[in-house]
Amino acid sequence: MSVPADAAMILLEGIEVTLTSAAGAVNVLRGVSLRVAAGETASLIGPSGSGKTTLLMTAAGLVRPSAGRIEIAGTNLSTLDEDGLARFRRDAVGIVFQGFHLVPTMTALENVALPLEFAGRRDAFEVAADSLTAVGLAARREHYPAELSGGEQQRVALARAFAAAPKLILADEPTGNLDGATGKQVMDLLFRLAAERGTTLLLVTHESDLAHRAHRIIELADGKIVGDGAQPLPATAAR
Amino acid sequence: MLPLAIRLMRRELRGGLRGFRIFLACLTLGVAVIAGVGSLAAGVRAGLEGDARAMLGGDVELNLVLRPASDAERRYLDQNGAVAEVIGMRSMARRDDNTRRSLIELKAVDGAYPLYGSVTLDPAGSLADALAQRDGLWGAVAAPALLDRLDLKVGDVVRVGEARVQLRAALTHEPDAATGIFILGPRFIIAKPALAATGLLAPGALIGYSYRVRLPAGMTVDAWTESLKTAFPDAGWRVRDYANAAPNLRRLLDRVGLFLTLMGLTALLVGGVGVGNAVSGYLASRTLSIAIFKSVGAPGRLVFWTYLLQIAVLAALGIAIGLLLGALTPALTAQLLPADLPVTARLGFYPLPLLIAAAAGALTTLAFALGPLSNAQAVPPATLFREAADAPSSWPSKSTLAVQALVTALLAALVIATTVDHRLAFWSVLGALVVLAVFRLAAALTIAAVRRIGRPRQPLLRMALANLGRRGANTASVIASLGLGLTVLVALTLVEGNIALTLDKDLPERAPSFFFIDIQPDQVAGFDQLLAGFAGASDVERVPSLRGRLVKLNGVPVDEAQVSPGAQWAVRSERGLTYSPTVPTGSRLVEGSWWPAGYQGPPLVSFDAELARGMGLKIGDTLTINVLGRDVTATIANLRAIDWTSLRINYALVFSPGTFAGAPETFIATARVPPDRETALQAAVTDRFANVSAIPVKDALQAVSQMVSQVAVALQVTAAIALGLPNSTFVWGQKPEPAIVTGVPACVD
Repeated sequence: MSVPADAAMILLEGIEVTLTSAAGAVNVLRGVSLRVAAGETASLIGPSGSGKTTLLMTAAGLVRPSAGRIEIAGTNLSTLDEDGLARFRRDAVGIVFQGFHLVPTMTALENVALPLEFAGRRDAFEVAADSLTAVGLAARREHYPAELSGGEQQRVALARAFAAAPKLILADEPTGNLDGATGKQVMDLLFRLAAERGTTLLLVTHESDLAHRAHRIIELADGKIVGDGAQPLPATAAR
Repeated sequence: MLPLAIRLMRRELRGGLRGFRIFLACLTLGVAVIAGVGSLAAGVRAGLEGDARAMLGGDVELNLVLRPASDAERRYLDQNGAVAEVIGMRSMARRDDNTRRSLIELKAVDGAYPLYGSVTLDPAGSLADALAQRDGLWGAVAAPALLDRLDLKVGDVVRVGEARVQLRAALTHEPDAATGIFILGPRFIIAKPALAATGLLAPGALIGYSYRVRLPAGMTVDAWTESLKTAFPDAGWRVRDYANAAPNLRRLLDRVGLFLTLMGLTALLVGGVGVGNAVSGYLASRTLSIAIFKSVGAPGRLVFWTYLLQIAVLAALGIAIGLLLGALTPALTAQLLPADLPVTARLGFYPLPLLIAAAAGALTTLAFALGPLSNAQAVPPATLFREAADAPSSWPSKSTLAVQALVTALLAALVIATTVDHRLAFWSVLGALVVLAVFRLAAALTIAAVRRIGRPRQPLLRMALANLGRRGANTASVIASLGLGLTVLVALTLVEGNIALTLDKDLPERAPSFFFIDIQPDQVAGFDQLLAGFAGASDVERVPSLRGRLVKLNGVPVDEAQVSPGAQWAVRSERGLTYSPTVPTGSRLVEGSWWPAGYQGPPLVSFDAELARGMGLKIGDTLTINVLGRDVTATIANLRAIDWTSLRINYALVFSPGTFAGAPETFIATARVPPDRETALQAAVTDRFANVSAIPVKDALQAVSQMVSQVAVALQVTAAIALGLPNSTFVWGQKPEPAIVTGVPACVD
């Protein structure tokens, strides 16, 4: 799917998300409206429970909003069923998790190839190998996640997220389980790949330094956007 | 999608089989029981068919009761095959010094016996030699049990009727022993010419004449039988061919096989609960992987097929191991079959029972795995963000439930269609499913109750209750599988206990001490006098006895009449008949009225009400009975309720006096004496009337009780293993909550 250069990659209008639990219904997002342009990088910040991760999940089609309109890469997600949302994610969205979430019974190469195999691509493993090379793990492609360090696992996750050349990358605390140096390495890689490929990046983080690397910082509190501003990029920030 | 699902499945299998040990154990056991029972039954059936001619004694057997074949009939048989004649009856054998006596199953054979198979004697030798007359004494061979009972050794003289015969060998193998699965006394064989000397060939005596025929080469049984019927349409003999040798044994083996198969099915159902739980647990452990698949674009169907294939591969492994064990069962258990079972199981490979077991295993796996698979398909990828340890369990989708119902129905249909008694199998399957559902409901109520109980102060109790009621606990499955298994075991034990109580206590208290059979008409007065004068004798009852076969029901030949399965026994072979001017003691009229005193009109019959119901007959309908080659038609005058458990002299058919005027008859009688007078009464009667057999009822009940007990114990042990093992592996394999395991020491501290 192609998105006009000036079109929004992420378009949320009046999004409300209510999650039910044993304790009762919780209004996690209350009328959130947001527009992120194609190629833009944005950070989501806010206190714990403010709705940052839920906003990310909604953009990924993992949570259906109880009200509002959501368009990602020109696709209205409310028109898709579960399998349709899965196909959409496969083709247009890459997700990077805090916990890496690699399949433990598959090698690094197989993990990266997954979205490509689901798309039925015959060159899935060739493309996956290239993606691993791009993150500097060509030599580790036959290793299982248990044989990789935390940083290496997250790099494999990055390679998987970028393998299908998605339009949008969603990253949920990608450095949350990594030490400082490793985390910086991973973030440098994330921003570099996004810049090289013109991929839109929406990133949830608690770290101020990390948040300021994005074009824009969006602040959430109590399920609402309470701040949204462009950032002057520091000279040292990787693009 | 399938190639991709296979690839994903193979990768997932790299995780090992740790979570599937219980799955494999439960499935393997259930399949092994069904396959083993089926293979053993097939082996025994093959033995029956392989030895059919030897067991029958010929290609065809003709049976007559009370009369031998006429000269014309015998000539016809001799001209149309090789014939061996066997005369059988019950009698009494006594030591020559008259100190001990025993009921025997007497068999008199001619020189052609046996036509098939061979008799084995100890000491070894030919039967003809052993039975030949030497120094004025005819020879005899007897079952080892008689030698023990009368304290005899080879060479001793034994009295049978009026004759003295010499015991020449013990009978260790009799090829046609299975023609009577339940016999009351040890076998005793003499030569046919010796029978005349015994004086037992009295008119009306209960004697069976059996003619075993080896057909000429190229002659088929059907063609031969047709010619026979054309030549002698009214002979009244019962014809059996080797395809139907030993029907009683076949029926017994079918019943036991049916029960064991149903036991295997129950084991499979119990194991199925374990299978379902193992699959559930495994898929719960794969929740994150499933969520990852979905987050990177896998459709739900792909997830379903990936894990279905994985379960299918593992199920195939479990089924294969179960089939191997089942196929080896005949070889492993052949030695455990009763030594006196008159058939040898043929060891071999029997594919059909294995196919059935494999299909049952596959369907059970599918039925119990579909629910967890449906849940796995519905795992939300958002789980990755919430780091849930277990997938939220929910009801399977409607389509999954529909497929589960279909698979369950197929499994039930498979079991019902492949067992000999479809009705019994149907009710057993339904019963098992209902019990499973009841225990599921009980489990749900238990969990609900546990959740409502307040928090006990005792930490261990609190944790235990919390573990019972927590989401994802296996409480329901454990209760269901244990409940089903225990229900079957308890039911078995109760039924066996009730039967044992009836046989060992109730019946002996009500039963007479002896049945006396073959009392000749000219002996009646003397017999009555003896019993009247015997101290301690009471409840003496004596009735005339004839034998005949039902040939028509209300004018319709029995072969064409509608007879319910429960009433088949009455038309299968000859039946005992009697006549009486009054209502027999112990019978109760339920419909109609008895014939008046001195009645001399057309034949009337009083019929068993239950049999009448099974044959669709009512008062005013007719029964035609063949007695000694003559058809007699009688009108049903009344119906009686008969309490067969009273062990009194009961007849399903009681005719009006004069119906069989002129037909040879004997009398049978019963009497009660105190236990310490039984031997004396038996001696007094059989000494005076050598042709009369005294059947000790207690011995008969004991023989039945022993057989029932042996079968019951074998079935209980099988059930305990078949049901206990899946339950124990299933329950033993439950993983405790780590929090509880690590928290307990702290709590105790």
